[in-house]
Amino acid sequence: MTNILLLNPEIILACAGLLILLSGAFICESRAKLLYHLGIISTIAVLGMIITQALMAGYGTGTMWVIDPAAQFFKFIVLVATVFTLMLSVNYTGIRARHIGTYTALLLWASCGMMLLSGAMDFIYLLISLELISISCFILTGFEQKNPRSAEGAIKYFLMGGLSTAVTIYGISLFYGATGTTNLFNYATAVELHIGDPAYIMGMLFILVGFGFKVSMVPFHFWAPDAYEGAPTPVTAYLSVASKLAALGAMMRIFASVIPHQEINITMLIAILAALTMTLGNLTALFQTNVKRLLAYSSIAQAGYILIGLVVAGPIGRESVMFYSLAYLVTNIGAFAVAMVVAGKTGSYEIDAYNGLSKRSLGLSIVMVMFLLSLAGIPPMAGFVGKFYVFASAVNTQQFLWLAILGVVNSVISVYYYMGIARRMFFVGSEDESPVETDIYAASVIAVTAAATLLLGILPETVMRIVKSCVAFHL
Amino acid sequence: MSLLSLIVFVPLAGALAILAIPKTKIKAIQGFGIAVSSVCLALTGYLYAAFDKTTAGMQFIEQLSWIPAFNINYFVGVDGLSVALVILTALLTLVSLIYSLNITLRVKEFFFWFLLLEAGMLGVFVALDFFLFYVFWELTLVPMYFLIGVWGGPKKEYAAIKFFVYTLFGSLFMLLGILALYFNSAPHTFNMIELARQGSLLPLNMQIWIFLALYLGFAIKIPAFPFHTWLPLAHVEAPTGVSVILAGIMLKMGTYGIMRVSFPTLPAATKWFLPFLIIIAVINIVYGAFCAMAQKDLKKMVAYSSVNHMGYCMLGMTAMTTIGFNGAVLQMITHGLITGSLFLLVGVIYDRAHTRDMDAFGGLAARFPIFAGLMIIQVMASLGLPGLAGFVGEFLCFLGAFESWPYYVAVSTIGILVTAAFFLRMIEKVFLGPFNEKWAGLKDMNARELIAIVPLAVLTLAIGIWPRVCLDWINPTITYLAGLMK
Repeated sequence: MTNILLLNPEIILACAGLLILLSGAFICESRAKLLYHLGIISTIAVLGMIITQALMAGYGTGTMWVIDPAAQFFKFIVLVATVFTLMLSVNYTGIRARHIGTYTALLLWASCGMMLLSGAMDFIYLLISLELISISCFILTGFEQKNPRSAEGAIKYFLMGGLSTAVTIYGISLFYGATGTTNLFNYATAVELHIGDPAYIMGMLFILVGFGFKVSMVPFHFWAPDAYEGAPTPVTAYLSVASKLAALGAMMRIFASVIPHQEINITMLIAILAALTMTLGNLTALFQTNVKRLLAYSSIAQAGYILIGLVVAGPIGRESVMFYSLAYLVTNIGAFAVAMVVAGKTGSYEIDAYNGLSKRSLGLSIVMVMFLLSLAGIPPMAGFVGKFYVFASAVNTQQFLWLAILGVVNSVISVYYYMGIARRMFFVGSEDESPVETDIYAASVIAVTAAATLLLGILPETVMRIVKSCVAFHL
Repeated sequence: MSLLSLIVFVPLAGALAILAIPKTKIKAIQGFGIAVSSVCLALTGYLYAAFDKTTAGMQFIEQLSWIPAFNINYFVGVDGLSVALVILTALLTLVSLIYSLNITLRVKEFFFWFLLLEAGMLGVFVALDFFLFYVFWELTLVPMYFLIGVWGGPKKEYAAIKFFVYTLFGSLFMLLGILALYFNSAPHTFNMIELARQGSLLPLNMQIWIFLALYLGFAIKIPAFPFHTWLPLAHVEAPTGVSVILAGIMLKMGTYGIMRVSFPTLPAATKWFLPFLIIIAVINIVYGAFCAMAQKDLKKMVAYSSVNHMGYCMLGMTAMTTIGFNGAVLQMITHGLITGSLFLLVGVIYDRAHTRDMDAFGGLAARFPIFAGLMIIQVMASLGLPGLAGFVGEFLCFLGAFESWPYYVAVSTIGILVTAAFFLRMIEKVFLGPFNEKWAGLKDMNARELIAIVPLAVLTLAIGIWPRVCLDWINPTITYLAGLMK
């Protein structure tokens, strides 16, 4: 326990959550939005801590957790997503004033779980952080009490989540049975001993299922569209970005670094799952008429692209995962923010609500096109550089060239539905031509994410250098 | 900032500046847009004058470090292969913008997308870093999508998305090819000149795969058979000014890419593919001509004639000689001028009559002498009448190819014959015969249209009479390039 200080940011965030929960009980409803701001401020403070810690080169280790640049990178992503989510929540009408304290606290705890997950080096510790995320997110998904879809999404999420946790625990027990430890530090030194042990490989596969669920990897993705559609929109953005990327970060640590998937011969399995994830996600997204569902399936497909980097592993593969994660973070949050603003005006998440948007708000439409192009991987947007990185890693290996080709074909398919939204905004007219206003919170989220989307696409060098040094330090 | 960067970034800055003008001030937007592209054309005029005709190497080079993590540079320069295309791009953009002054729908967005498109196209022709090249290549895609989709004809939305998806499909495979070249170079580089030096060392098997990936991207743009199916739809549905750019510039990005990258970088694969390339060229020529013959719609006919003319260009390229390459590059330029003005002229008649069905007209020559005169000049140039620009390019292409592929060239002459037939038939139906009184109220061309078309006609004549205004700039680079392919 000597290294408990390394967990200071998580501890502070969790305490802030408790404090907000408590104040929620005493604050009068008209001032409840103050709690959001409290949440934003504490998250930003913790973000500041993470950034200063990242500047300390090297890494600290505990018995169960590590702090290395890669972990800090994913913590950064989670915290940025949390700030954006809270900002989007401020003027979101679906959450009742007297629940704001609970809502904010749950969001902070979920983020806390994701931060813990990023540095997990022990399966028990990992399980606890996964559960912290899951339970908080189940509740957040069902937060719109008057919306039956919200309840439906939460129940599906909960049932699938419970099942996947059970499988993960079983996997951990098998792993323990085979290796005699749940700790990955001790294990890493004795990797050769266990190769070929069926119980051990089974254990790893079951653990993979747990991650697959969180990452919404096919075939463990069925919860995602319903949960995403039902959840309050800020929570949807949060689930699609923070929870997915934190799980990917941990998956990268375990399956590409500590126990490289090549060594236990499950590389081909992960490659096939990546291929299925992007293909099924894209093909299903083609037929969606609800923007939240469309973005849900698109985010499944995006996870597929990121998994290519994980399959390739090696330094360049891991770098590409990290770069893509950041690009995906700013792009997807931005897209959901626009979707929220549009739905706030039109009252509908149906894709028809976008008809003639360019006449109602040209700025919003152009920014949305930027996000869509970034998701589709068209330069000069962040998503393009992300895809470039991922495909580069696959082309580099030659062995996984087929994944790059499949990724390319999928990108082309995805253009069809992404540009479908652009088409409605610019080509189709609408009867209602009243302008769409954006409140200051959503507007600032959109402005920051749009600027980041463009900046990451045009000047990616700084971030590339950061991910390179992260990977170089990766445990 | 060097001259080339200025040429690329003036339209880009102009596009962004237009966003700041309120959309109700239509005159200001139009004036500003025209001014920006005029400045750009003036800069390319200076480029033309300052260009050193005696050297084959890159000129006006500017190289800045951009993304050192991947050894990506902002690297631009022009040589004889690209200089004429840069000038053509600036010219046709200005001409199209002048012609498009009659557009009243969402003027602000139109000029924004158009200038963005210009920046992208210019960037493609000056980029010497393959990553930069790709970014510019894709940068042309989105503006074109909106230009077709908002201002196009009845089937505009379908045409726009088909164009987008089709081209993106090709260019993403090109991206894989670019990555393969990058990872097979030592030290890893996207520098096109360096890649051309190293690429020839690659094993044949690898070269063939990379060639195929790049070719897919380029062939769809050209468009080479069998990837031409997006073209008639996009060209016909696009508004007039945009059709000019599509046919005049964007098709050339494909042939330019092949000559700039595929040939010098992958010489062994090029040799391996030559028999296929020549067959594709012949199919483009003959099939394109017959398709054009079958059209009653004037614009569709011109669109298919582009397939046919790009076939000549590919024929010249497969010659692998100085003459053939010169012909191919000249053909790119003259096709840009000629087909550009043909699309404008078709636009002129469509704006008045609201039909493009050639059977609906007749005897227009007597009533519309200026229009008829210009149209006949350009049609004659397009079918290769000596003394006009089209002839020189086509002649050189055939002459070059004849040395190595006499039989294929013989087959291709069918294409010339059919081209002459469908163009002459068009002239007969539209301009000769009894006048259709339905069109008695129409007026001849106005000043806006004349300002747009006359410069192109003058250049068509000038290059036809004195091709050295073009060839002298092209020749040294081409001689060097052809030397590499031996």
